[in-house]
Amino acid sequence: MGFVMQNIVNALQWGSFYAVIALGYSMVYSVLMLFNFAHGDIFMTGAYIGFFVSTGLLALSSLGYVVLPHWLILPLTIILAMFLTATVGMLVERVAYRPLRGAPRASAALTGLMVGIILQTLNLALLGARRRTFPLLIETETFQIGLASVTNTRIMIVLVSLLMMLVLHQFVKRTKWGMAMRAMAYDFAAIPLMGVPINTIALLAFGLGSALAAVAGILFGIAYPVLEPYMGMLVGWKAFVAAILGGRGSVMGAALAGFLLGFIEIFVAAVFPSTLRDLIAYSIILVILTFKPHGFFGESYSARLRL
Amino acid sequence: MTSASATGYRAGLSWKTRRLLGRVSLLGWLSGALAAVIVEHLLGRGLALRLGLGSIPLLFGVTDILRQPLMIPSTSVYVLLVYLLPIALVASVTAPALNRVAGRLLGMSTWLSIITHLAIAYTVLDLWCALNDYRLLIVKLMLVAVMITLSLNIVNGYMGEFCCSHPGFMALGAYSSSVFTVLFFVDDDVFGAALLPPALAPFLFPLALLAGGLVAAAGALAVAIPSFRTRGDYLAVISLAFTFIVKSFIENLEIIGGPRGFMSQPDLASLPVVFAWTVICMAVINNYVRSTLGKALNAVRDDETAANAMTVDTRHTKMTAFLFSAFWAGVAGGLFAHIMRYVNPATFGVQKLAEVLAMLYFGGLNSVIGSVVGAVGFTLFSEALRPLEIYKWVIIPVLLILIMMFRPTGLLGFRDFDVRKTLSPRDIRERGGRTVASG
Amino acid sequence: MSRTFMVILCLVALICAGCGSPASTTQPVIKIGINAEMTGDIPKVGEGTKFAAQMWLEDIEAAGGLEVGGKKYKVELVIEDNESKAESAVAVQTKMISQDRVLVIVGPQASKQAIPAGEVANNLETPMISPWSTNPRTTLDRPWVFRACFLDSFQGPVIANFVTEEYGFTKAAVLYDVASDYPKGLAEYFKQAWEKLHGPGSVVAYESFTTKDRDFSAQITKIIGSGAEFFFTPQYYDEVPLILKQARELGWDNPIVGSDSWGSAELVNLAGDLCYGLFFPTHYAAAGATGATKEFIDRYEAKHGYIPDDVAALTWDSMLLVQKAIQDTGEITGDLAKDRKNVRDALAQIKDFEGITGKLTFTEDGDPIKAAVIVRISDQGEFEFYGYASP
Repeated sequence: MGFVMQNIVNALQWGSFYAVIALGYSMVYSVLMLFNFAHGDIFMTGAYIGFFVSTGLLALSSLGYVVLPHWLILPLTIILAMFLTATVGMLVERVAYRPLRGAPRASAALTGLMVGIILQTLNLALLGARRRTFPLLIETETFQIGLASVTNTRIMIVLVSLLMMLVLHQFVKRTKWGMAMRAMAYDFAAIPLMGVPINTIALLAFGLGSALAAVAGILFGIAYPVLEPYMGMLVGWKAFVAAILGGRGSVMGAALAGFLLGFIEIFVAAVFPSTLRDLIAYSIILVILTFKPHGFFGESYSARLRL
Repeated sequence: MTSASATGYRAGLSWKTRRLLGRVSLLGWLSGALAAVIVEHLLGRGLALRLGLGSIPLLFGVTDILRQPLMIPSTSVYVLLVYLLPIALVASVTAPALNRVAGRLLGMSTWLSIITHLAIAYTVLDLWCALNDYRLLIVKLMLVAVMITLSLNIVNGYMGEFCCSHPGFMALGAYSSSVFTVLFFVDDDVFGAALLPPALAPFLFPLALLAGGLVAAAGALAVAIPSFRTRGDYLAVISLAFTFIVKSFIENLEIIGGPRGFMSQPDLASLPVVFAWTVICMAVINNYVRSTLGKALNAVRDDETAANAMTVDTRHTKMTAFLFSAFWAGVAGGLFAHIMRYVNPATFGVQKLAEVLAMLYFGGLNSVIGSVVGAVGFTLFSEALRPLEIYKWVIIPVLLILIMMFRPTGLLGFRDFDVRKTLSPRDIRERGGRTVASG
Repeated sequence: MSRTFMVILCLVALICAGCGSPASTTQPVIKIGINAEMTGDIPKVGEGTKFAAQMWLEDIEAAGGLEVGGKKYKVELVIEDNESKAESAVAVQTKMISQDRVLVIVGPQASKQAIPAGEVANNLETPMISPWSTNPRTTLDRPWVFRACFLDSFQGPVIANFVTEEYGFTKAAVLYDVASDYPKGLAEYFKQAWEKLHGPGSVVAYESFTTKDRDFSAQITKIIGSGAEFFFTPQYYDEVPLILKQARELGWDNPIVGSDSWGSAELVNLAGDLCYGLFFPTHYAAAGATGATKEFIDRYEAKHGYIPDDVAALTWDSMLLVQKAIQDTGEITGDLAKDRKNVRDALAQIKDFEGITGKLTFTEDGDPIKAAVIVRISDQGEFEFYGYASP
C-alpha cells in the first residue's frame, strides 16, 4: 500500500512536467496545426534562463544591491523567465514559422526541429560543456503523508502545474483571445475572413506555449537540478506524444495525457522489471491509440496536410 | 562601352555558357567526371605535392580550406585543374559526339542506355574512392542515406503522412540481417560455429538483406494497423512510440548484445554491392511511385474521400506503401550494419530521426531525384564541415531553414524522375533552337 | 569564345601550379590523432580529452619537439569530433588514418564509439589507445588496439569486495542505465561478483532506467522496499546528483556506492553535500596526490579552472604512453606503415609504466594491469585517497 501511495506521488510529480510541456505543444498544435519540434529546446532555454535569472537575483540580493526576501526570488524568477522565454518563443515563430505559413506543415515542423538543434548547439558553444546546477530556491523538507514520503517541492510543483492548467483553461474559454484561438483551431481558413489577425494569434500561441515551457523548465530545475543543453530533447519528444494523445483543440486533454504518460512510465517501472519500461509503456500507448484513435478529447476530424 | 551594353554582353555570355552547358547530355557529364577522376589518379598526388597541399584534398578541398584558410588559392587551383577543367573540357568538346551516342544508345534500347550510364557512374565512384578509404566509407554511407531517404519519402512525401519510425525500421533490418549473416557465416561465441561455409556469404548476402527488409515490414504492421484506423497526426505519435519500443526491445535482448551492441558482421558490404542495392532501390521506388499504385497514393494524400470515390482502395494503398517503405528502410539498415560491422541500439534513436528528416526535406518531398540530392548533399555537408567542430551544427540547421523558406517543399520537391528524358541527348538544334531546361 | 576562355584559364592555372612551392623538404612531422566526443551526450569528456592532449603538446613544443633516436621531430595533433555517434567515430577514424596519415590514435573514449573505431584501426593497421573505454570487446582480438583504464570485469569484483569488507553488508541493490554500455556492463559484473560472495538472491533489487531519464523515483522506491542495505550506481556525474537527491527525498539513509565514472570534479559541484562521505573506486585520487599526479592536476586546474576528471588523467597517461612507444622505436623511418608497426610493437612491450593513474603493464590483449584506488568524498568535497583495492 505504501508502495502504491509513494508511486502515485512520484507519478504526480513526473506527470506534471509532461503535462505542462505538453500544454505548450498543444497550444501551438491546436491553433496552427503545427508540430512545434523546437518546444523541447525552448523548455531547455527556459530552464537556463531561469537559472541565470535566479542566480543573478541571488547574487544581487546577497551583494546588497536589492533587498529581496528569499521567498520572493522564486516567483520573481518564474515571472521574469516567463517573459524572456516567451520572447524567445515569439522570435522563433517570427523567424522560423511565419515565413512558412503557406508551406506544407511538415516543412515547418522541420524548421522547428532545426531551431531546436541551433538552440542546443549555441548553448553548448556559448556556455561550454559544464553542467549547471540550479540554485536552491527552496529549502527542501521531507515529511510523511500517510505511507508516502513527500517533499515541499513536490507539492509545490504539482500545485503550480495545476494552477497553470487552470489559468490557461480559463484564458482559452473566457477571453476574447482564447476564443480567437479556439476558432482558429476549428477552422483555419475561415478565421481571417472574420477579421481575426492570424499572425497575432500565432505569436500569442507561441508566447504562451513558451512561457509555460519556462515554468516547466524552472520547476524541472528545482526537482532535477542538473541542467545540460540536450535536456529538452527526450522530454520534448515524449511531451509531443502526450500533446497529440490529448487530442487537438483540447488544452485539458493535453494536460491529462501528460499525467497519464507520467503515470504509465512510473507504474510500469514500479511493477514490471524496469529494464522493460519503455517497451511496455509505449506499447500501452500504442494499444490506447488503437482503441481510442482520436486521442482523449479531440474531436473526430479529417486533417489535411496542406501540400 | 556603356553600362547597358556591358549588361547585354554579360547576359550574352551567360546565355552562351548556358547554351553550351545545355547541350551536354548526362553521358557527357559522366564522361567529364570520368576524365576528372582519371586525371586525379594520374596527376593528383604530384599536383597536390607541388601545390604544397601535402595530400590529395578529400572532399573537393572544403575541409582543407576550413581548417587552413591560407590554403584557399592552392586548393582552388587543385579543384580547378583536377575537377572543373577536365569536366568542362571533356563535356563541351565531346558534347556533339556524345549526344549522338546517347541518342543511338537510347534508340537501341533503354536498358542498354541505363546500363552504360550506370557502368560509367560506378567507374567514376570506384576510381574516386580508390584513392582513399575515407572517401570509400563516405560514399557507402551516402548511398545508404539515399536508400533510407527514398524510403521515407514514400510515406512522408508521396503518402503525405508524418512518420517517425524509420530509425526503428532501420534497426530491425540492421539487426535481423546481422543475425542472419553472423549465424550462418561467422564462428561466433554466442551463435556458435558458422552453419554454412563462409565462402557462400557474398552470394547469400542479398537473402540476409531481404530478410532484414521483411522483418522491418513485419514491424511496420504494428504501426500500420492502429494508425490506419484513423487519418491524421496519430501516425506521428504511433510511429514515434514504435521507435522507442524497438530501441527498448533491442536493449533488452541480451543474445544480440543489448545496449553493448552487436558486432563481427562479415565484411560483405563492398562498394559494388552497396551501389547495386542503391540502384535497385531507386529503380523499384521510382517505378512504384510512377505506377498506378503511386498515383493512387498521391490521390489519397490529396483527398482521401475523393480518392475513395474514384475507386481507390485507400486502405490497401496506404498499407502497401507503408510496408514497402519499411522494407527498404530495413534493407538500408542491413547494409548500414555491414558497412559499420557494428550496430548498437543507441544509433537508432531520435537523433537519427532528425537526421533522416533533414535529408528528406532538404532534397525535396515527392521526388526521387530530390531524395538523392538531399541525402548526398547532407552527407557531404556534414562531412566537409567537420573542421567547424561544434558550429557545424549551427551552420547546417541555418542552411536548412533558409532552404525551407525559399523552397518550402525542399530543393527539388515534386519533380518526376523520367529515366528516358534524363538519359536522352540534349541537342538544341533538334528542338528548334529553343534552350530547353532539362530535368 | 568560351573555348579560348578555357584555354586561358588552363594556362593561368598551370602557371599558378608552377609557382606553388614544390614538395616541402622539411623533416617529417609526427601526427597524432585524437578522436573525441566533443559534442553529443558527453561533451565534457571530449573537452577533458582535448585539454589534456593539448597540455601534452605544449610540453613537447617547449622541449623543441619529440626526440626520437637523437633527432627532434615536430608533433602535430589532429583533433576530430565524433559527435558521440558510432558512425561518426568510424568516419573520423578512417579519415585520420587514410587522409591525415596519423601515426597513432588516442580515443575514442566511450565504448560505443571505441568498439567500431577500434575495428577500423585494427583493419587499417594503426595503433590506437582508448583511454577510457572499459568494454572488453574494445581490445578483444585486436592486436592494434590498447586501452589505458581497467576493465569492467575488474572493477565489479573490486567494488563487491570493498563493500563487504568495509560495511559487512549482505544485501545489495543496483540502479543503472540499461541503454548505456558502460553502466550496464559494470552493473552485470558487480551483480555476478556480489552473488558469488553472498549467494544467489543477495542482489535484492536490480533496477534500471534509460539514458537522459531524469526521474528515478519509481526505481528508488522499489529499492527502498526491497530491504537493500546499500545501493550501487555506476552512473555518470550528471545523473548521480539527481539519484542522490531523489534517494534522500524518498527517505533513503543507507550508503550509496559509485564507480570510476563518479570521478569528476563536476560531481561535487552538482551534488554538494549529498555526496559527502560516499565511496567509489577510481583510477587516481586528486586530493592528496603527489609527484607527477599533483603536478598534472595543478597545471590543469591553473589553466582551465577545475580539477581534471579521470578522463583527462587517463588521456594524459595515454599521451605519455604514445610518447614512450614512439621514442622506444628508436627511429622514424618515414615509411608510415612500418612506423605504425614499430609503434604498436613498442606499445605492446611497455612494462611497469609509471603513469599518473598508477603503474601499468599491458597484457596480451592490450589491456592494462593496474590497481584501483578507493576514494572517499570528504566533507570538504575533495576526493580523498582511502585505500588500494584489488578483486
